[in-house]
Amino acid sequence: MTEPPKTAEPTPAPGPVQGPAPGNPAAESSPRSPAAVRRRATLAGTAVSVLLIIAIVFGSRLLRDFDSALLPYAVATVFLAFGVAYRYTVWISAPGARRLFKQGWRSFFSVANFRKAPTALPKMIATYLGFQKFLGARSHARWAAHQLVFWGCLLAAAITFPLTWGWFTFTSSTGSGPGYEMRIWGFKIIGFDALSVLGWLMFHGLDIAAVLVIAGAAYFLWRRMKDRGAVTGQRFAYDLVPLIALVVVSVTGLLLTFSSIFLHGGGYEFLAILHMVSVVFTLIYIPFGKFFHIVQRPAAVGMQLFKYTSRRKDEEVLTCRRCHEPIDTAPYVENLRGTMRDLDLGFDEWAEYCPRCKRVLRGNAYLDHVKKGFK
Amino acid sequence: MMGRTIFIDPGRCIGCQACVSACRECDSHRGKSMIHLDYPDEGHSVASLPTVCMHCEDPVAPCAEVCPADAILVTADGVVQQADTTRCIGCANCVNACPFGVPKIDLQAKLQMKCNLCYDRTAYGLAPMCATVCPTGALFYGTLEELQAERPGVQVADSFTFGGSTVTTGVAMVVPADKVQWPVPGGLPVVEINGKDVR
Repeated sequence: MTEPPKTAEPTPAPGPVQGPAPGNPAAESSPRSPAAVRRRATLAGTAVSVLLIIAIVFGSRLLRDFDSALLPYAVATVFLAFGVAYRYTVWISAPGARRLFKQGWRSFFSVANFRKAPTALPKMIATYLGFQKFLGARSHARWAAHQLVFWGCLLAAAITFPLTWGWFTFTSSTGSGPGYEMRIWGFKIIGFDALSVLGWLMFHGLDIAAVLVIAGAAYFLWRRMKDRGAVTGQRFAYDLVPLIALVVVSVTGLLLTFSSIFLHGGGYEFLAILHMVSVVFTLIYIPFGKFFHIVQRPAAVGMQLFKYTSRRKDEEVLTCRRCHEPIDTAPYVENLRGTMRDLDLGFDEWAEYCPRCKRVLRGNAYLDHVKKGFK
Repeated sequence: MMGRTIFIDPGRCIGCQACVSACRECDSHRGKSMIHLDYPDEGHSVASLPTVCMHCEDPVAPCAEVCPADAILVTADGVVQQADTTRCIGCANCVNACPFGVPKIDLQAKLQMKCNLCYDRTAYGLAPMCATVCPTGALFYGTLEELQAERPGVQVADSFTFGGSTVTTGVAMVVPADKVQWPVPGGLPVVEINGKDVR
């Protein structure tokens, strides 16, 4: 049996809360003001773009290995770098993300944590980011489709990004082949016969990636049309455009191979432009929509590491003040309370009660103070 | 308070769990019930309290504010949606920050789920599953005018106090006429009076 809780006497409803006056110079100059965040984000975006341009220039041996036919792709990646860095900075400037971001890196750089659990991080990266076990717990079909899209996109990015930056080169040491050399930053990595299995895989890596992506994206498109749960609240620009973009990029890419093998290059130039346009739009879209989860998701590993290492350190597990059921580790709850205070949510001590007790206490307060007839 | 919303009257709730069963039929979280039905004084009273998401308006959705992944979206009609499956990282910030104890979490799937006012139904003008099946009208869906036309003289409150903070919500609760000018106490126990711990 639990003691009837003491509850705060109701107070009259306050009038409308006065927010800070717009254009308040003190608020404008605060490091967390929207203007300051935008400035920081622009700076971060510019810095990352400039670094990428420098890496492209030096990585392609002062543009000697740079393929000018791929220039639009390279320019799109520079825009992508700006957009991703900009949005990332804005994102981690919000209180909830900032605090977990800091705690994640603190756990990552802790030597004590590394000594206690040296395999924790690689294991989390493999199971969480690579094989995405959590998706299997949501639905096996979605897990399988997402794995196809994930590995397809990863393979495609690993091939195309360095190619467009002029970092990879494929040169024939024997004039017209079939002996080829793959070089990275001018250094020979591997020599292979273009007609061997390895050669076929090297030159058809993007076709394989396209097949994987089409299979996965087609399932998700079908689901977006048929599954009533997925259809609820779905938005064209957020939920469907990314899938359509993936299919268009993959299909136009495959058509290029089809043209060169079966049409003797017929329509190749048109297809190449179509493919390029679809890829450039997709790359530039990444920071704005659903694809941003590619950038956000790895940060979740930081959150997991923070929770995991707090538990490993046998930190005190905070229990509900009323029913004594465990809530989470004390550092996690303290982190959340800090976030709530940052956001001026004046009921952060409420985080030390479990959700059920919050509801029961509210029910009791209603019984005691609002509607006694409720009993 | 939203135009068409849920009005909760705990005084009418008989704890029959029909809402809990019906909630499982909602297409956006099929098989999982998002409504909570609690018995505040179990063993001593038959009182029961259904809890749906209150769709907080001011401060707007504390669950969304504390979310580190920007996963909880509030649609233009004021409905606080459940976590975006693409973004949710399963950190449970929303679960522990919600002053009403609403969100649920699946730690294996790293996914938060909560009442979204049966968006698959309400977006098309249908009542949420819980309000559709409630046999006593403890959960009523409609406008305040519709509620008052059906129950003359009924008063509702859409603000709740938690310590020194007041939360205004999109979902409202039925209160006696003399209590309507007061925010409903949210239940946060008094832990300190004049610096003295009174727990």
